Amino acid sequence: MSYLKMAQRNLWRNKRRTVITVSSIFFATLFAVVMRSFQLGSYSLMIRNSIEQYYGFIRIQHSGYTQDPVLENTFESNRELLDKIQNISNVKAVTPRLETFSLASSGNISKGVLVLGIDPETETRFSNPENFLIRFKLTPKVIESLSRDSFLYPLLEVISKHRDAVFADKFELREIFADDPISHSKLRKILELSEVEGRFLSSNDRGVVLSSRLARFLKLEVGDSVILMGQGYQGASAVGVYPIVGIVKIPNPELDNRVVYMPLNLAQEFTNVLNRISYFAINLNNTSDNQLRITADSIKAIVTESYLDVKTWQELNRVLVQQIESDNQSGNAFLFLLYLVVFFGILGTVIMMVHERIHEFGVLISLGMQKHKLIFSLFLELVLMALMGIGFGFLVGIPIIQYYSFYPIRLSGDLANMMTEMGFEPLLPMAPVSGFVWGQGIVTLIMVMIASLYPIRKIIKLQVVSALKR
Amino acid sequence: MAIIEVVSLDKIYNDSAVEVTALKNINLSISSGEFTAIVGPSGSGKTTLLNLIGGLDYPTSGKIRVGDVWLNELKGFRLIDFRLHNIGFVFQSYNLIPVLTALENVELIMQLQGVSAKERRKRATELLHRVGLGDRCDSRPSKLSGGQQQRVAVARALASKPKYILADEPTANLDGKSTETLLNVMEELNRDEGVTFIFSTHDQRVINRARRVVLLEDGYINSDTFN
Repeated sequence: MSYLKMAQRNLWRNKRRTVITVSSIFFATLFAVVMRSFQLGSYSLMIRNSIEQYYGFIRIQHSGYTQDPVLENTFESNRELLDKIQNISNVKAVTPRLETFSLASSGNISKGVLVLGIDPETETRFSNPENFLIRFKLTPKVIESLSRDSFLYPLLEVISKHRDAVFADKFELREIFADDPISHSKLRKILELSEVEGRFLSSNDRGVVLSSRLARFLKLEVGDSVILMGQGYQGASAVGVYPIVGIVKIPNPELDNRVVYMPLNLAQEFTNVLNRISYFAINLNNTSDNQLRITADSIKAIVTESYLDVKTWQELNRVLVQQIESDNQSGNAFLFLLYLVVFFGILGTVIMMVHERIHEFGVLISLGMQKHKLIFSLFLELVLMALMGIGFGFLVGIPIIQYYSFYPIRLSGDLANMMTEMGFEPLLPMAPVSGFVWGQGIVTLIMVMIASLYPIRKIIKLQVVSALKR
Repeated sequence: MAIIEVVSLDKIYNDSAVEVTALKNINLSISSGEFTAIVGPSGSGKTTLLNLIGGLDYPTSGKIRVGDVWLNELKGFRLIDFRLHNIGFVFQSYNLIPVLTALENVELIMQLQGVSAKERRKRATELLHRVGLGDRCDSRPSKLSGGQQQRVAVARALASKPKYILADEPTANLDGKSTETLLNVMEELNRDEGVTFIFSTHDQRVINRARRVVLLEDGYINSDTFN
């Protein structure tokens, strides 16, 4: 009879208690992994939307640019430097950008915008904004045409709810019918009617691409022109009228409200900063903190110009870092409370288990079982119980996590609006299975180990004679 | 030579406000192969004496020698190890491990001793046959009668090949028939294999079968009679 088998049998001596304890560990594990996955998923979405799509994980910029992001703190673009950075193994993409603030006008509507001068070729590798190019739009005119079509009339209610909605691809558009899927032929017809013109920029373009919320605000469409007014290099005025060649729907709502993409050459011409850029933005393959630091150090070794700084996204975007940190802290505090409740549940079981069996412990020790063997046997019971709870928790939790990491929950209605207004994409993604899942299991096992200190102490101090009297 | 030598043994309990003298100046010598009953009224110190001889408790003063070893000098894991290899126990309420079968209960002691699985299985089966329970090897204690459980307890006590077996009121919870069967088994083991048995009892049926009766009264040995 192995200790394991004995532990197994002891567990089923009091089935109800074991089931209750295993269930509490199961629910705690399930809840912890799902909640943690939601948390980490939302962080990676935030990072993806704002760091990968816009900031870049590392930037090379003028030393004065962080404090004062003006055109005077730009520097001469250097193709050789760009190539050297690109050759660092962890560097996924590097792109030069020129940023300036400007006033965009259309008719009597104006708005402050961020003009982003980009090199379309390297930007495609960096953030690929072309991916977000709007290809379909449910304009009132489209809805009216649909209402006249008896074939599509039954879908009018759903479509009307999405008046003026824009879509980057057919899959996104198909999602509005997720509750009641439609046939391919109906979808094809809707796509035909709602297709809009537009393309992304090329290096020598004389036009611009607007973000979708900005375009809606200014009531502009592809083919219209936008007037940009701002201040150029060394006090020169920067004014221009630019045709809109495309509209993109940037996932980050904050950027989607205010970005105007312009070819780098055109932006330099607009601001009168010939061959100067605001920064090189760099994206990485491995974005872990450790790799980020190592890659930043490698880049620092290449950048010899004293007036240039190499900054990581955490140094540049303290607000996002603090946002993540504070959310992480509150999430951890919640998990701590959850684990505390479960811990006392486990401890209760352990105390009952020990008190019920103290006589038996006395018998075993009197027969010649060493106390450490008895402790081991009891510890095994607790670990088995914990492993069952954790195992079931993983069994249910991991498929949920994996599914929602591939198919994030898209929020709708007021909640979606609220999130959008706060600058977040209305998505609830989950982080795919990784170390954090196993971490929850380890925490539960540690709790069991702490709870097992009680029987350990009890057995060490056990007086055989008094135990036998009970 | 005596296998157990008790010299000037005193046991005083002072856990409560009142000091209780359980045993006073006990001198006793038990030889190998004895079938001894320690008798006396409740509170006379029978169980206390058995606990001390069994190394389950420490005397307040005096000494106990088992073979060449002074039991009162052993502490902690050495004492537990000594019990494992030298002393067999039979308790009043059987005290079998409920999650183990009869065979596994008997095997457990040998497992603790480090006997190989094959050998302990063989010996446990033999012992259960010896106590008349060869057909109940796979039964859990809850499926056995009180008498059967006590016979399993005897087989378990024998499993470690102890120098002696201590049985604390082994028949107290048994009916007449079961008591008779158990006594027959123990008597046979004593007679045929020379196993030393020391009982505490106030069951007259057991006293009648004992070859030596030590009468305790108020912690003193009142009489020590060989039949």
